[in-house]
Amino acid sequence: MPAAKQKTYKCLNPEGIDEPVEQFPLAPRLDKLDGKTIHLSVCGEQDIWHPLEKRLKTDYPNVNWTVKKRYHIVPLQLTDEERKTTDAVILGVCW
Amino acid sequence: MPYLADLEQSGIPTVLLHYHEQKGKVLNDLKLYGIPHLRTVEADRKSPGGVEEADRVMPLLLEALTRPATSEEKKGGEWSTKKPRILFEGTIEEAEEFYSQTENITGCLDTPFCRYTDGLPVVIPTEERVMAMLKGTSHKPDEIITLQRDIELSGGDAVRARVKKLKGDPVEFLPMFRRATVEQVAVNAVMAGCKPNQFPVALAIAESGGGTGDGRGGGGAFILSGPVIKEIGLTVTNNIFGQCNPVNKSLARLGSLLWRNLGGYKETVTTIMTVGNPVLNGGMVLGEYTEGLPPGWLGLNEEFGFKKNESVLMNVPVGHSNSAWGIGQEHMPGVYRSLQRTGHGAIARYLGVKGVVGPHNYLEFLCKDIWACREGGFTIGMPPQIAMDMYNYGFKTKQSIYEFFWKKSFEPMSKYRVRGTPDFRTNGWLGTEPISGKPWKDLPDDYMVPAGGDDPFRSFAVFVFNMEETQTARFTGGHHDAYCIDAWR
Repeated sequence: MPAAKQKTYKCLNPEGIDEPVEQFPLAPRLDKLDGKTIHLSVCGEQDIWHPLEKRLKTDYPNVNWTVKKRYHIVPLQLTDEERKTTDAVILGVCW
Repeated sequence: MPYLADLEQSGIPTVLLHYHEQKGKVLNDLKLYGIPHLRTVEADRKSPGGVEEADRVMPLLLEALTRPATSEEKKGGEWSTKKPRILFEGTIEEAEEFYSQTENITGCLDTPFCRYTDGLPVVIPTEERVMAMLKGTSHKPDEIITLQRDIELSGGDAVRARVKKLKGDPVEFLPMFRRATVEQVAVNAVMAGCKPNQFPVALAIAESGGGTGDGRGGGGAFILSGPVIKEIGLTVTNNIFGQCNPVNKSLARLGSLLWRNLGGYKETVTTIMTVGNPVLNGGMVLGEYTEGLPPGWLGLNEEFGFKKNESVLMNVPVGHSNSAWGIGQEHMPGVYRSLQRTGHGAIARYLGVKGVVGPHNYLEFLCKDIWACREGGFTIGMPPQIAMDMYNYGFKTKQSIYEFFWKKSFEPMSKYRVRGTPDFRTNGWLGTEPISGKPWKDLPDDYMVPAGGDDPFRSFAVFVFNMEETQTARFTGGHHDAYCIDAWR
């Protein structure tokens, strides 16, 4: 005698909804370093930044280095005025 | 990451320096914030002194700012996922196999990680079972989970800051910042083993963010207050932290499933690494025994401004890795009774009340050295007898207990300065001490600081559970955020 066909069920998805996110291209890169204002956005663990900041300022004296430091994981942001004169940003180690 | 996205979109080139173990999470977040091509440089977190590592990463960082963007990096687009409502169709046995599937994760030494579950078998969420669960609420299945009242949420970017949210704001489930419908919560509630009469509680758990915490978990512990406790049969008595009550157990488990499925938690892929939390491995849902409250002591619902007949859920901030359990002085239950009945035993000797009949201040003993190796407040669960003794001693309100503990936690700056967490909490001592309003760096060594947190109410909490034995439970906590269960009926 053939086995009775087992009942099948529709089972639902437990996952949440990913909202669509617009993906943006990279901003244009710098053509040179000399004469530029590059901002160091330091947040999270500071240790690597101590020698890194020193080397950057020593090896690239023609760059105008600006710095904001925060121990929290979210960085201190540039003001709108500061953005007008900032050419690039290096951020780490948190994001 | 949103800051980097904003800078790039405004035309300022950026580069991110991060630790190489965080690569999976970084790649995930780049996509979520719309900057998939952002250039990153990986650093080694183990380099002694950091000098050689700084030398290594410096040219990479500068090259990332100057090398012209490739044609691929100049592309835009949209990131989206399509998830079918019906995930699987087949027999129950086949579905059990499907829902228990795993994938190996490199960041976890290629060990299996469950795609849809917390690691244990689940109740299969058939359409019929989910429909039955949905009968436990008046809310529509396709309704997005939103906040049911204006609320000032704990947390925020400055650790201590609180974040104002409005009624109707969609709840985001971390770490993937997903949204969810009532039906999707019902699917997880079925999987956890919940019954329809528990569904309003499940929805309130979802409103609190589920078990997602800050994306690394830590949000799967809750205390309930109000009539709903009796309605659903939550145990608030002996073995309150233990097993075998299906209501406590299934609701507690729900947090883990919401974190995995609504939040999209995947260790080292969508989150940075943590060690996890044994309390939240299975979750924790407690309820308070309001009949055991001394006169004048408010239930948690009333403490948060709700009415006595309103049912409320408070999430307990036990943390994702650094929670503490069983903190405070240990003692045999009988030693407590000896203290209060005849003034004998260790606690009586400590308090200097030998031979004097109680009530005595047991809390004085309990918090002895409690801040010796940790900062912050805590929650105490106590049986009615201890609560009544404390009332008779002089603690006529719960708030008076919170203030007692808070005042006991003060210590000089010289001691506070060498603790483990204030470097972070004070923003490297660059911030302002909240009580004096003065910069942390200007405070003298003898300035007194509360190691127990900034605010007595936020730092501490007391709840009463039913038990004849005289023992207490103490764990990381305090008052966090409260959500109205009745709003989800």
